[in-house]
Amino acid sequence: MAKESLTQAMAIAKSPDEAKREVKGSAAFVVFMADKGIFVFTAILIAASMTFVDGFASLQNLTDLFHRAAPIGIVALGMTFVVITGNYLDLSVVAQAAAAGVILIAVSNATNLATAFAVAFVVAIMFGLVNGIAVGYFKANAVIVTLATTYMGLGLLRLLSGGSQVFGPSDGPIATFGTSKLGPFPYSAVVLVVVAIVLTFVLSKTNFGFMVRSFGVNEKSTRLSGTNTGFIVVGAFLVTSMAAMVGGFVLAAFSNTAVSNMATGFDFQALAAIIVGGTSVFGGKGSIPRTLLGVVFVSILSNVLVLSQISYGWQQVAIGSLIVFAVTVDALGRRVGKK
Amino acid sequence: MTAPVIEARSIIKSFGGVRAVDDVTVTVAPGEIHAVVGENGAGKSTLMRILAGVETPDSGDVQVDGMAIENSAKSSIDAGISLVHQELSLVPEMTVAENIFLGAFPTAGGWTKTKQMKKLAADTLREIGVEVDLDERISRLSVALRQFVEIARAIARNPKVLILDEPTASLTPAETNYLLEMLQRLAGKGLAIIYISHRIPEVFKICNSVTILRDGKLVLSDSIESLTPEKVIEQMVGRELLLDASKRRKVNDTGEVVLSAVGIKAPGVNGIDLEVKSGQIIGLGGLVGAGRTELIRAILGADLRTGGRVVITSQGKKHSVTSYLSAIRAGVAYVPEERRTDGLALGMTVSENIFLPNRKQVAPRGILSKAKNDSFAKELSEKVNLRPPEVTREAGKYSGGNQQKIVIAKWLGRKPAFVVLDEPTRGVDVGAKSEIHKLVKQLADDGVAVLVISSDLPELLELSEIIHVVRDGRIVGSLIGEDATEKSVMSLAAGEKLVGA
Repeated sequence: MAKESLTQAMAIAKSPDEAKREVKGSAAFVVFMADKGIFVFTAILIAASMTFVDGFASLQNLTDLFHRAAPIGIVALGMTFVVITGNYLDLSVVAQAAAAGVILIAVSNATNLATAFAVAFVVAIMFGLVNGIAVGYFKANAVIVTLATTYMGLGLLRLLSGGSQVFGPSDGPIATFGTSKLGPFPYSAVVLVVVAIVLTFVLSKTNFGFMVRSFGVNEKSTRLSGTNTGFIVVGAFLVTSMAAMVGGFVLAAFSNTAVSNMATGFDFQALAAIIVGGTSVFGGKGSIPRTLLGVVFVSILSNVLVLSQISYGWQQVAIGSLIVFAVTVDALGRRVGKK
Repeated sequence: MTAPVIEARSIIKSFGGVRAVDDVTVTVAPGEIHAVVGENGAGKSTLMRILAGVETPDSGDVQVDGMAIENSAKSSIDAGISLVHQELSLVPEMTVAENIFLGAFPTAGGWTKTKQMKKLAADTLREIGVEVDLDERISRLSVALRQFVEIARAIARNPKVLILDEPTASLTPAETNYLLEMLQRLAGKGLAIIYISHRIPEVFKICNSVTILRDGKLVLSDSIESLTPEKVIEQMVGRELLLDASKRRKVNDTGEVVLSAVGIKAPGVNGIDLEVKSGQIIGLGGLVGAGRTELIRAILGADLRTGGRVVITSQGKKHSVTSYLSAIRAGVAYVPEERRTDGLALGMTVSENIFLPNRKQVAPRGILSKAKNDSFAKELSEKVNLRPPEVTREAGKYSGGNQQKIVIAKWLGRKPAFVVLDEPTRGVDVGAKSEIHKLVKQLADDGVAVLVISSDLPELLELSEIIHVVRDGRIVGSLIGEDATEKSVMSLAAGEKLVGA
């Protein structure tokens, strides 16, 4: 018996995965960066911005920063679910957020706010179901499916709204919400935090969240353990749709207007926040707090670039480069960690 | 004795503090077939990867013709060492000829010289005595032919030393014989061959000398004449094998029918009826590729079934199995063949892996409680004797045997009525293997219906009360476990004509 447990202990130590804890030198650095880099970079960025950038720490600027960060941040938090399942991203958040914004203002103008919420909710569910069923049950590629639903969504929006901008009454509840603050924080930032808390709970404390993570780590073993994996993917897309809807509401309320192209670039900026936060595009690895941190990082970076009067073109170049860097570190960290 | 063509001296290689290869010296002369044997994890494959330059040793060097070679895959190939990997590494979408010259296409100014490539490929195949269409895609070939193409690929590089890692693992006896003769022919032409195998009879059939490894150390290296099969096994294992096989299970026909599968058809499965009763262990024997895994996956609905009806009776109720989920709901536990990819999420903890199929029981309201999960998982891991029973440890950090125990543990939580185990102890060390056998027998004794697929004949004989032998997607014979022998199972599995070979 003693001999058996000895050979077993040896076998445990010998398993190839054990070696991955032993990575040294530059390899260890890459693994560290892929995992914890965001914490270091965010701290450096905040410190540097406060020290070197004039006007960064002003209340006006921080309020502004929150206003800009909130809609994209909310979308990113929801989309984290899809990324964790290993299905890359949901491009259709661009159409979904715009649809929610246009519906909120146009329908509440025509009828009332409650009806507007109800219509937006139904539309969000439709998007989530179409994306989720195509990807989850039919195993279609998420990038292509959501690219197609973006096209469909924007097209329908153009037909319904005629492609023109809609405005809310300047004294309506939407306008009030968009300009109100809770202490120094605009309501949009409060919504961001509430969404973050709710989704953190869903992802880390519920059976559904567990299945999303388990599916991301190993789809096959999750399926063979008796899980309806199609349902998990549909669920992840539905969470993303709900978040895109809330993000669209917040965005529309901020300016009290909405138009079909209002959320252009949300797909990519949300993905940027998710990836920079350290959620892996390979699935399985990631969390809501990480995405929140990524949102903070990307938003501060854009804000600092604006304050430093760097042109929008260069901002795009900077965010693009950041993504290439983050995705490369993610892939490298995964490869080095595997060896 | 001629001067050695390859000489590996005092090779040491550690992984994470444990020496996988510990001061091993191997020398092989031209025309010699040198066997390297040892249990799983003895360090054979690591040593071979070092010889082929794929892995860098911590110390020691490899010499070819007296010249030390630099440690890289390319310099090993240039020096004349060719390794035929255990896992086949051919590109399924490419043709035989293209695969043989993969990575070394004969070219002229950047253009592939197809004619010359085909001619060289044909020559190589003729040299090893295999006939196969050069333009056939690899994906259309049988496992054996793929193995031969793999060898052709190694031979096409004109090696001085050919290393084969378990080349007969998935071959039938006739194919194995063919391969062994091929190797003898190649050795006759002066090629030095290093032959890694678990199968001792093969070693005694063709090898001139044997090196035995145990726990990374060189135990013995000697010419074949001075050894006997018993001595080799004794040295490999280093301890007495408990031969539980003498205690065969008697047929227990008193339980109620739990699995009733009628007329099962699926790709690779040609109409099979199967019945398993409560308290029984039924074995499915056969060669790799006979259709056993396909059969049970079709029964359970894990893969598409094209015909047949499956009914599972649990807790007095009949459940018709129409999908994998319905099978699980009916009380099925499935321990799949590929535990690392299908059985477990290696990146998740033991506790999380166990939670997955038991989530409705542990967290009925859908809200997780880590403490509750951990204690639930702890209880089950103790039941299966997981060592150490640290449920917060990643499953991937456990050895194969322990991983398999985790897979079993996660199903035990559901108190299944029907347990299917596909190759339950493949790649598992001896100690864990006997523990898993004990668990399986205990399950049956507790009234569970058990179906075991195994290519490990002693295991199949030890566990099963009835052995159904599958060949070409059909049950070709059923043996009473007590009366079955390795030979009787094998002759059914391989088809009568091949038995004598």
